[in-house]
Amino acid sequence: MSGNHNLLRRWQGPMTRELLQKPAAFGLGKVPERLVPNATTRMVCGFCSTGCSLDAHLVDGHAVNLTPTAVHSVNLGMACPKGWEALTPLEAADRATVPLLRDERGVLRPVSWRKAMERFCGEFRRIQETHGPDSVAWLGSGQITTEELAFLGALGKFGMGIRHGDGNTRQCMASSVVAYKQAFGFDAPPFTYADFEQSDVIVLVGSNLAIAHPILWQRVLRNRNNPQIVVLDPRTTETASAATLHLPLGPKSDLVLLYSLAHILIARDWVDHGFISKSTSGYDAFRKFVAPFTPDFAAGQSGLKVEVIEQLAEMIHNGKAVSFWWTMGVNQGHEAVRTAQAIINLALMTGNIGRPGTGANSITGQCNAMGSRLFSNTTSLFGGRDFESADDRRAVADILNLSVDRIPDTNSLAYDEIVAGIREGRIKGLWLVGTNPSHSWIHQGEFNELIRNLEFFVVQDMYHSTETAQRADLMLPAAGWGEKEGTFINSERRFGVIKKVRRPPGEAMSDFDIFRLVAHFWGCGELFADWTTPERVFQIVKQLSAGRPCDITGIRDYQALDDCGGIQWPWCGNGGDAGNPPTERRLFEDGRFFTEDQRARFLVETPRPPGEVPDSQFPWILLTGRGTSAQWHTQSRTSKSQILQKLYPAGLYLELNPEDAARVGVGTGDRVRITSRRGSIHASVFITSTVRPGQVFLPMHYPQVNRLTYAEFDPYSRQPSYKSCAVRIDVAN
Amino acid sequence: MPPVADPSEPEFDLISLLLEDQQRLTAVEKFSQQHHAASGHLHRSLYQDLIPLSAPGPGEQYGFEVDLDKCSGCKACVVACHSLNGLDEDESWRNVGLLTSRTPQKAAPAPTPAVMQHVTTTCHHCVDPACLNGCPVLAYEKDPLTGIVRHLDDQCIGCQYCVMKCPYDVPKYSDRMGIVRKCDMCQQRLGDGEAPACVQACPTEAIRIQVVNVAGIRGEYLLASGGPRGNGFLPDSPAPDYTLPTTRFLSTRPALKDLSAADADVVQPAPAHVPLVFLLVLSQWSVGLALAGGSPWVRDVSVLRLLAGGALATVLMGLGLGALHLGQPFRAWRVFLGWRRSWFSREAILFGLYSGLVAAWCAASWQMPSAGSALGRTTAIVGLAAVWSSIMVYVDTRRAFWAMRHTAPRFLSTTVMLGAAGFGAVGALPGEPARNLAALVFGVSLLKVFLELILFRHLEATPGTPLAGSARLLLSHLARWTAVRLGSLAVGGLLLPGLMLSGVLPLDASGFAFSLALLVVSEFAERFLFFRAVVPEKMPGGVT
Repeated sequence: MSGNHNLLRRWQGPMTRELLQKPAAFGLGKVPERLVPNATTRMVCGFCSTGCSLDAHLVDGHAVNLTPTAVHSVNLGMACPKGWEALTPLEAADRATVPLLRDERGVLRPVSWRKAMERFCGEFRRIQETHGPDSVAWLGSGQITTEELAFLGALGKFGMGIRHGDGNTRQCMASSVVAYKQAFGFDAPPFTYADFEQSDVIVLVGSNLAIAHPILWQRVLRNRNNPQIVVLDPRTTETASAATLHLPLGPKSDLVLLYSLAHILIARDWVDHGFISKSTSGYDAFRKFVAPFTPDFAAGQSGLKVEVIEQLAEMIHNGKAVSFWWTMGVNQGHEAVRTAQAIINLALMTGNIGRPGTGANSITGQCNAMGSRLFSNTTSLFGGRDFESADDRRAVADILNLSVDRIPDTNSLAYDEIVAGIREGRIKGLWLVGTNPSHSWIHQGEFNELIRNLEFFVVQDMYHSTETAQRADLMLPAAGWGEKEGTFINSERRFGVIKKVRRPPGEAMSDFDIFRLVAHFWGCGELFADWTTPERVFQIVKQLSAGRPCDITGIRDYQALDDCGGIQWPWCGNGGDAGNPPTERRLFEDGRFFTEDQRARFLVETPRPPGEVPDSQFPWILLTGRGTSAQWHTQSRTSKSQILQKLYPAGLYLELNPEDAARVGVGTGDRVRITSRRGSIHASVFITSTVRPGQVFLPMHYPQVNRLTYAEFDPYSRQPSYKSCAVRIDVAN
Repeated sequence: MPPVADPSEPEFDLISLLLEDQQRLTAVEKFSQQHHAASGHLHRSLYQDLIPLSAPGPGEQYGFEVDLDKCSGCKACVVACHSLNGLDEDESWRNVGLLTSRTPQKAAPAPTPAVMQHVTTTCHHCVDPACLNGCPVLAYEKDPLTGIVRHLDDQCIGCQYCVMKCPYDVPKYSDRMGIVRKCDMCQQRLGDGEAPACVQACPTEAIRIQVVNVAGIRGEYLLASGGPRGNGFLPDSPAPDYTLPTTRFLSTRPALKDLSAADADVVQPAPAHVPLVFLLVLSQWSVGLALAGGSPWVRDVSVLRLLAGGALATVLMGLGLGALHLGQPFRAWRVFLGWRRSWFSREAILFGLYSGLVAAWCAASWQMPSAGSALGRTTAIVGLAAVWSSIMVYVDTRRAFWAMRHTAPRFLSTTVMLGAAGFGAVGALPGEPARNLAALVFGVSLLKVFLELILFRHLEATPGTPLAGSARLLLSHLARWTAVRLGSLAVGGLLLPGLMLSGVLPLDASGFAFSLALLVVSEFAERFLFFRAVVPEKMPGGVT
């Protein structure tokens, strides 16, 4: 362009310079000139459980931009929109910057940390003294680090004498936890992401992988075996649209369908007898149990054709490496544990486990769902131990150097039982950390009524604007991902590090430091004398894992995690420093499980209908789920990025089949009222034949959706069943 | 190890210690640097197969290729474009739309299989770019080697005509900068052998850069006869025979053509462009007054002076207010540069010439009234040419609501009607001429009402088309403005002239003045609706 300087046409100038790019160092390629970094560092993403590695571009330690790490086993140089925009939500105007305390007139007003802590301890102590120690409970989050979860769990149970603590992972992963524990003897997802690329048959149950886990869908599309991709989902999702076989089964008919697949495999003797006899128990009872689940019966229940069910059974039989994957379509069901186990049964009976490209694999939801499962000290004692086992309590007491009496000898209430405790007046104080149940809890209207009965309600969050924080008596401002250190554990059991690349606003501090403050002001600081930094707590977590299936004693420190691009559990390193572990490892390669007899269990139960089914008054089934890749859960973070806002509809929309739209008399863009027995909300209509007649779909990210949902829970996992309730659709006036 | 202390010891301040520690950024000091010495781009091996090995040869250019079978709708491309190009907070040059099936299963003999098909799109770097052809200041250039359609940000005057011209809704106006910006295929990256941001960032390798044959594209789009939607490009997207887009959309989905854009049924009012509303109405009114000045019905020189003065005032006001439309008005002197291709340039040149002539005519009407009539006629003729160029500015966008048959009658009738009413108001010859003027106002108004009402037949006759969309907007979002428009036209253009013609009201200046006042209101409302009710073409959008 050098010859092109003239008065009439301007090729150069200040506006052109705004978009000038410059090659950056560190292998980043060209970046905007005004964002050229002088260092980079990689860290694991803080949204979902995929655990992508992101390179923060640093100028004097401060992150100015971010790109997906080029060479990393998880994300292979890619990220979804949330990952690309991970820094933006940190800058939001509604970040909580100081503690807020509700005054006599009901207004949240800024107070000092000292005042906040005195009030926190004073109120919770008073409640415990008045109503008994179990009258205070906490609810944590799969969004905070393993070290923070461990601190919260130890502080709550051993320091403050709180028995009842749970986490929002109850809403996403609890069913998989119980399914694995019962079937494998430990909460142990067996897979590694390479399995996506090594299968020749990939069966996705209740998973819109392409939208919910785009980077895992990337692995599916990189599979060079020309795999059969089978999707079981009532909706024709993006994933189903791209599948080689989609089974649009009726909602909540999955358990029957899965049993009928087992029936066909047994009837045709398409089972791996060697594996069954060597590595499993309970097969005979299982075989008898599934005998009545004929393809005809399943076809009647699911609305599928017999041939399609048989076709899938045949695919499973013909596959050399069949992998089964499930997410919330299974976990958030009224018989979710048994459904997950029905999938596990299929993998066990066909010997599709412990080999490359196989497995019965639960893909988790939140970035640290697994940290919560293993080390939050809530449902299970540290390291997947049992509160009710004296040996386990003794082991933990020894490691933590505390009196064994401090460890509760009974289990915590589950999330919904804590909510019921509030209803019944047994729980009077509640401490929420990094979660937003006023939006996300099933039948939220009741929840929001109940929390008014609390005598003291504390919310600890990055934003003072969340639906829940606005209802708090005390709001504690937390630092977020990128403003603190710690580790997350992803879906394939990989520990990854997060780092401090941004300063939190005002007086916000990491959840870790807030827990230090609480310990200090509660007067139990001496118990946590060693819990001074996240990395020291990581060393404590290592000790807690020793000898457990999730043993990580071989991971030296954060630097080792950073150098290796994350390390999967278990890694005991054969007595210290045994070099770096292989990048991708799967469990059960020797056919031995974590049960006492080292055999996996076949577990079954007679299917039953959900608690609420459509009737003449409420004739539609309401399905809920992920809307777009740019939205995360209750949107407290993703709504803060203007570029992400462009990627999803601003208002709530209802997916409606054309036939039903004609029945209601509405077109795309028209407003409708959706009513369940619990509430009534409005949405605009999106007509698409990807939902079946009689079913409608709402994306879960909009705050009003859970006013409709029906509070039913899996009896074993206590996980809410978000994906099935009965509604009516009317034209909105 | 930081000490842990008894809270009763006031000298130990854990809070301050933690707050201080919280503000320390530790990633660099605590972790060793990876790729410290790496140069180039570590992602290169991931995308090297997605960009061409060599530059295009003669008769070739670069084009995007999108494999729809792989586009899963994650939209990482949109955000990567934003991040890697350092764009404004809400700015990205990519967009992802959604095609879905919506035929009732019972109604259709062979229902379209249910499907969600996302479509990532950006600038198509067209063979014959409408943006470039319309730009009045040559702020676009098509790179002769690569074919990339590049926008010159420091040349742009922010007239947004490219936004109206591009059928794909690609150039985006920035209020902050007062200019438009658009995708340049990351030409700085491509020049260094790096892939564009979107290509780098697609997890499923759905986007690549290909070398395309220009003659092949011409042949395909100019000769091909489309399917049921008549375009052979994508459903619910603009016909490609206009600008010859170079993006290739690949799909193995047999029913792709039967899908609909998620937002196909949703219409939203377009920007009002209020300065342009003033520019058009006032400039046309001016030309109408100039036409009146050339007519034999001018009573005396005082009327001539009023007409000339009125023509000058209205055109200057129109041009002045119209300039407010520009984001970068101080660059606007270059507006003549695009005259070879841009009707916008021609309109600016002709109205520039016209306002000079009006000024001269106005001056002449004071200095030497006898010279006024020849100059007046020249002025009126140039004025009509300028109005014609205004018509062509909008016709040339190929937007249905702005087609010749809609725009020309509107603009010409505004010219005639306001000119006639204005003439009457400043004092035409009494008797037959005044009667003729009133009849002209009445007749033109009747024509306008008719033309505007017959648009509504598209609601039934061609539902789903842009014209039906315009009709829907006029009756829904814009219903109040439609009522103002038609109400003031009915009174000012039909009732008052009708009463004057039938002798109920006197045929005098005051009657015309009342009529004129209402007609001016009516015409502003009409022109406001002209902009707001247009339904621009665009690529398939998402759920709204």
